[in-house]
Amino acid sequence: MSASDTVIDVRELRKTYRTPFRRKKVEALRGISFSVQRGHIFGFVGPNGAGKTTTIRTLMGLIRPSGGSATILGHKIPSRAARAKVGFLPESPYFYDYLTIGELLDLAGRLFGLDGAARKKRADELIERVGLGRARTQSLKKFSKGMLQRAGLAQALMNDPEVVVLDEPTSGLDPIGRKEVRDLILELRDNGKTVLFSSHILTDIEAIADQVAIVARGALQLTGTPAELVKRTVLGFDLKVRIAAEAPVDELTAGASRIRRVADELAVTLGADADIDAWLERAHAAGAKVLAVEPRHETLEDLFMRQIAGADTASAATEGRV
Amino acid sequence: MLGRIWAIALNTFREAARIRVLYGIIVLVAGANLLSIVLGQMSLHEQDRVARDIGLAGISLFGSLTAIFLGVFLLYTEVQRRTIHAIVSKPIERWEFVVGKYAGMAIVLTILVGLFAVAMAGMLTWQGVGVSSAVVKAVVLAWFEVLTVASIAIFFSSFSTPFLSGIFALAMWVIGRLAPDLEAATRFAAPWIRVAARVALEIVPDVHLFAVSGRTLDGGAVSVHGDFVPWSYVALAAGHGLGWIIGLLALAALLFHRRDFV
Repeated sequence: MSASDTVIDVRELRKTYRTPFRRKKVEALRGISFSVQRGHIFGFVGPNGAGKTTTIRTLMGLIRPSGGSATILGHKIPSRAARAKVGFLPESPYFYDYLTIGELLDLAGRLFGLDGAARKKRADELIERVGLGRARTQSLKKFSKGMLQRAGLAQALMNDPEVVVLDEPTSGLDPIGRKEVRDLILELRDNGKTVLFSSHILTDIEAIADQVAIVARGALQLTGTPAELVKRTVLGFDLKVRIAAEAPVDELTAGASRIRRVADELAVTLGADADIDAWLERAHAAGAKVLAVEPRHETLEDLFMRQIAGADTASAATEGRV
Repeated sequence: MLGRIWAIALNTFREAARIRVLYGIIVLVAGANLLSIVLGQMSLHEQDRVARDIGLAGISLFGSLTAIFLGVFLLYTEVQRRTIHAIVSKPIERWEFVVGKYAGMAIVLTILVGLFAVAMAGMLTWQGVGVSSAVVKAVVLAWFEVLTVASIAIFFSSFSTPFLSGIFALAMWVIGRLAPDLEAATRFAAPWIRVAARVALEIVPDVHLFAVSGRTLDGGAVSVHGDFVPWSYVALAAGHGLGWIIGLLALAALLFHRRDFV
């Protein structure tokens, strides 16, 4: 991987705050380092207060780092040159609610230095692209959360950026809205853009990210491709059968880690070492019809929970020593 | 650079134009001008004098109070409502944002002062006295006073809450307005009071320079109804105001530059 392929390079980024009255030190970022390669979708995942938003805001020049450094497309942050090539969607975006979507995009276009004709053309394209054509005349005050998120995406793309940074872009959206945002991110990647996005929603990250970073307590816990991070070993089996509602199922549920019976359907989860063939024989003998047998692999969620638990334990041990 | 500043100014103007209180102030000033007719009738052949005094006082008082009212919310609400996140993450310098916000407010205030002046001119014309060059100079001075007060308010807004900013800005305006009186009043006071008054007067803009009617300058009485200051004085006072405006905006930009937007 050559240096020119690195679009965002973060080195030992630190941010320390002081609480207002007691002047107590709070370390929001404890030396985070990662890099994002050109044309990749980089998923930034972590629990609340992990440091995702602080990292993103530092990259976007909203927060001054206490230490470390970062570059975007080779420009040190904070710099105007870096921001000129980046499109940014803030977390829970707040815009001037008296503006219409057209006026918001016109303002963004002016700040990016686009001329009048280019602003109008680009705004018209983006309004249609994010599906806000019917809301052109409404002020943003009347927009729903989902509509505001789309408006935010549109303003982030006004400058046709090389890099797009999205802070919780699917937060607060319904399943259709989330899918639309995911599709848009994939479309951006297909058009050669580099996308850095944070999310709480692990399935979103797993579905589209080329590279994932897990952060907790202001530090990077793990980074890599989803395939590298998530073990492909079988953790267990999910089995589902149809069996008469009144039929005894003790033989089928023995040793199961999870059991669910709804009407004439029985679902059980067995461990990786379970004898599936023997279980299936018992199921047939009991008159059950097998509907599904699925091996259960580790998911990003499993990995995430393991990492967060590890970070909490390490942190508790450190605090205990102190 | 100018395009970005203009974009912020235009947006600030749009925002301010939606504040209903401003329309209330315009009605209030128009009402005050109408009141000058009643008060003029009660005076003995002094209708035009009353109209000029009320008109100019209206511009200065309501213009400055509006400047404080608009200015103290200007930067604070941007940070509180987080609307600033989508702006300063664009390729704009923070000082350009501060200057743009001020420019937008200056446009609003200039329109207000213009409307107040037109109302006063209408009243004077209706009374058959017309608008003298002294009145024009006094309006220009009041306009610069309002713009200077706006810069005081935006300076405090860059680091303080609207309530505190309002108190500080109002205090600076009042002290600046009463500077010659305060100086005279403390001339024979205890030394520490004189020093305190001196320090206070040094750190506030001399907004009294913009309200000279009724004062004595260079041994001569100055009045908008008679002998008023020459244009050279207006230019000097405007230059003084501009100096304060640039200085306060530079300080506001410096403080704003160092802030984290969390």
